[in-house]
Amino acid sequence: MNRLPESERSDWTDLDLLTREEASSRLKEEIAGIEPRLAELGDAHPAERELLESRRRALREAIDGLAGS
Amino acid sequence: MPLQPWMKLLSTDDHLIEPPTLWSDRLPAKYRESGPRIVEQPRKEGSAPAEVWSYEGRIYPYIGLNAVAGKKPEEFGMEPTRYDEMIPGCYDPKARIRDMDLDGVWGALSFPSFPRFAGTVFLEGEDRELARLCVQAWNDFVLDEWCATAPDRLIPLVILPVWDVRECVAEIHRTADKGAKAVAFPENPVPLGLPSFHTDHWDPVFSAVEETDMPLCLHFGTSGNAPKTAPEAPFAVTISLFGCNSMYSTADLLFSPVFHKHPKLKVGLSEGGIGWMPYLLERIDLTWERHRFYQNVNQEVRPSELFYKHIHGCFIDDRFGVKVRHEIGVDHITWECDYPHSDSYWPKSRAYAEEVLANVPDDEVHKIVELNTRRLYNLPA
Repeated sequence: MNRLPESERSDWTDLDLLTREEASSRLKEEIAGIEPRLAELGDAHPAERELLESRRRALREAIDGLAGS
Repeated sequence: MPLQPWMKLLSTDDHLIEPPTLWSDRLPAKYRESGPRIVEQPRKEGSAPAEVWSYEGRIYPYIGLNAVAGKKPEEFGMEPTRYDEMIPGCYDPKARIRDMDLDGVWGALSFPSFPRFAGTVFLEGEDRELARLCVQAWNDFVLDEWCATAPDRLIPLVILPVWDVRECVAEIHRTADKGAKAVAFPENPVPLGLPSFHTDHWDPVFSAVEETDMPLCLHFGTSGNAPKTAPEAPFAVTISLFGCNSMYSTADLLFSPVFHKHPKLKVGLSEGGIGWMPYLLERIDLTWERHRFYQNVNQEVRPSELFYKHIHGCFIDDRFGVKVRHEIGVDHITWECDYPHSDSYWPKSRAYAEEVLANVPDDEVHKIVELNTRRLYNLPA
């Protein structure tokens, strides 16, 4: 079996994929960006607040999913 | 806010990683050993073994997490990697949809990974029947499993057995009947040992995609040739010049007989950016004005007319391209996000698109992010 890959003929290899670690760190960064805005909103603008809270929930679930699956 | 909440972002250039049993689940029993399958290779002590593809005994390690370009071949194999190290949205369509939701992206067309972006790994197959079945298996996976998970959101792109035109035509019709929307094709077949766009070799293929109204998607890199200036040049040179491959394809096609013989053919330049288009069209037209008389090129139609009729491009962060969008033609621009490559802006692709398109009128933004893709790829709203 030839152990050397054919990578010289790959599509270069444009396969620098997101790792779980990098994805988690991006998700955490996104949450960190949402929290100051939520604090700033307080009880005002309930629609925007609901939207941001729901996004934060989804981002947290995604982090848990990456850690657990 | 030009990017309105109700506009659905459609990406014309994403990627999927083939799940380990894609081929073993679909190939006849006699081919399960020689067809693509995942095998383990040792990595450094203390690390779990890498999972790599084996196809007819050849090892292809790039299911990977790390770009291998610029490394010695002996160093490949030690880098990538395992499925449990990558995010599930790479290979699991349900997880992909969740990630698209987080990213504010509605729809996505995904290119292959192990088979290369136009399926050309199967050109290396020693057993042509196995190679043909591998192409069919990838297409069936995309149509029956990947896109079937969310048919209005995951856009089916298929690959072809490019070594055999008759088989290509059959596969185009077979997959179109099953719902395929686009066909991946090499940006230039010549470096792969195949006939050029300047021959009549591909006419039956181009006629078949015209008949089925599917665009040919030429992803940069699918010729197998990377822009490289010197062996010791940093990979940054290559990355900076990626779009040049799309420029080559454009000039090649516009001076070929292809569009003259195939008036309904649509070509998408995938991941090549758009900012270069006005310059190249000016240069190509000037060349045609001055130099067409003594060459075997069409004497009647200006190449830029062909461009505006047949070619579209896409971008992630080509701010200059957005600025010169009227020279390109707003109807010829689509949006992409390149998930799951680490170059993508996930999970803030939508926020980033909003920023890049901030000074563009709403109606033009809507065309770029959604309507042009719906029109070109036949995706009903």
